[in-house]
Amino acid sequence: MAENGSNLQQFKEGVFSNNPVLVQLLGMCPTLAVTNSLENALVMGMAVTFVVVMSNLITSLLRNLIKPHVRILIFTITIATFVTIADLALKAYLFDVARKLGAFVPLIIVNCIIICRAEVVAIKSGVSRSLADALGIGLGFTMALCILGVVREVLGSGTLLNQHVLPRDFIEGGHTWVIMVLPPGAFLTLGAVVGVVNHLRERRAKGGAA
Amino acid sequence: MSIGVLLGILLSVVLVNNLVLAGFLGICPFLGVSRKVGMAFGMGCAVTFVITVSGVVTWLIVHAVLMPIGDYFGRPDMLYFLKYVAFIMVIASMVQLVEMYLKKFSPPLYTAFGVFLPLITTNCAILGACLYIDMKSETQNLLNAAVYALGGGIGFTLAITIMAGIREHIQFSDVPKCLRGAGITLLVAGILAMAFTGFTGIGK
Repeated sequence: MAENGSNLQQFKEGVFSNNPVLVQLLGMCPTLAVTNSLENALVMGMAVTFVVVMSNLITSLLRNLIKPHVRILIFTITIATFVTIADLALKAYLFDVARKLGAFVPLIIVNCIIICRAEVVAIKSGVSRSLADALGIGLGFTMALCILGVVREVLGSGTLLNQHVLPRDFIEGGHTWVIMVLPPGAFLTLGAVVGVVNHLRERRAKGGAA
Repeated sequence: MSIGVLLGILLSVVLVNNLVLAGFLGICPFLGVSRKVGMAFGMGCAVTFVITVSGVVTWLIVHAVLMPIGDYFGRPDMLYFLKYVAFIMVIASMVQLVEMYLKKFSPPLYTAFGVFLPLITTNCAILGACLYIDMKSETQNLLNAAVYALGGGIGFTLAITIMAGIREHIQFSDVPKCLRGAGITLLVAGILAMAFTGFTGIGK
């Protein structure tokens, strides 16, 4: 990837046209697992953003020292270090959410989005470009998670950030779609959202051509 | 330790708490390598091997290295911050081992896997299984941990093979254009997960 386009463009690409979850379909596991409420989705998005920013920063700073054949190992250890920091910080300051996220905080280590950014951008680019890219990707990831979180929390438990948003009768009468907070709901919601995004992209591409 | 307990752990992790369909682990290969039944099954076997060996080795690292050293200094959890880094190193070396073995003894399978083989390293099913073994109370002895890891691998193989079987048929059906590829696969996975929730209540 040559140094074309501004940092701002790199940032925007990560959020929209190159969105890691909805377009590239990377990092599916946390996307599906932690989006049963908006709160979990937000915290997870912030944790991943922190890790991707730090890992891109370190990789970019060390890019002239890293030998090609050990680069994956270096990426992984860098990421594991920052995930450990994020995990301990979450346990210290946001214990309830950290407990709900459970194993999915340490599992950020194997989130393909982060290693992909290190490999595709940070190892070849300067610090400012790597940071812009990481912020874009982090924001894009958080945004996608929040979309899923909103849909699943409203339909599944009738609340949003633990505040009731649907009529009280609806929730107390047991009319919420419990399936949405269970595993199948995650797959169904993501499938539907990906379908909608594909549809919008197709329409846009057609409009551009015409 | 009776055989019943082991069987219970096995059944629970293969069917009830299936790592893919109930635990959302290993979704990337589940979506990426599930086009052909043969390849999906091969991937499942590779993952089962790596998961079992890594499960045992990481259990040993926690119980035979990190804990005793911590105990020696009077603080058992002193070195726990090293866990994640240690786990990922073990998994990365195991994947390297499988890659070398396949390259030498089964080149067709090796070429078929292509980029997905090194990607087993970042397969969250493996790290996830290791982390769950470390967290759960019933996997605190080595035999239970090994059975749990093996069951995780079998569950993964089961899920990905079923998925590949379904996808081979979807090729011939008329899917709306915007849902082709990932969209329809996720929807099918949702229905499959719904079917698997029917196992809830077995065991436990």
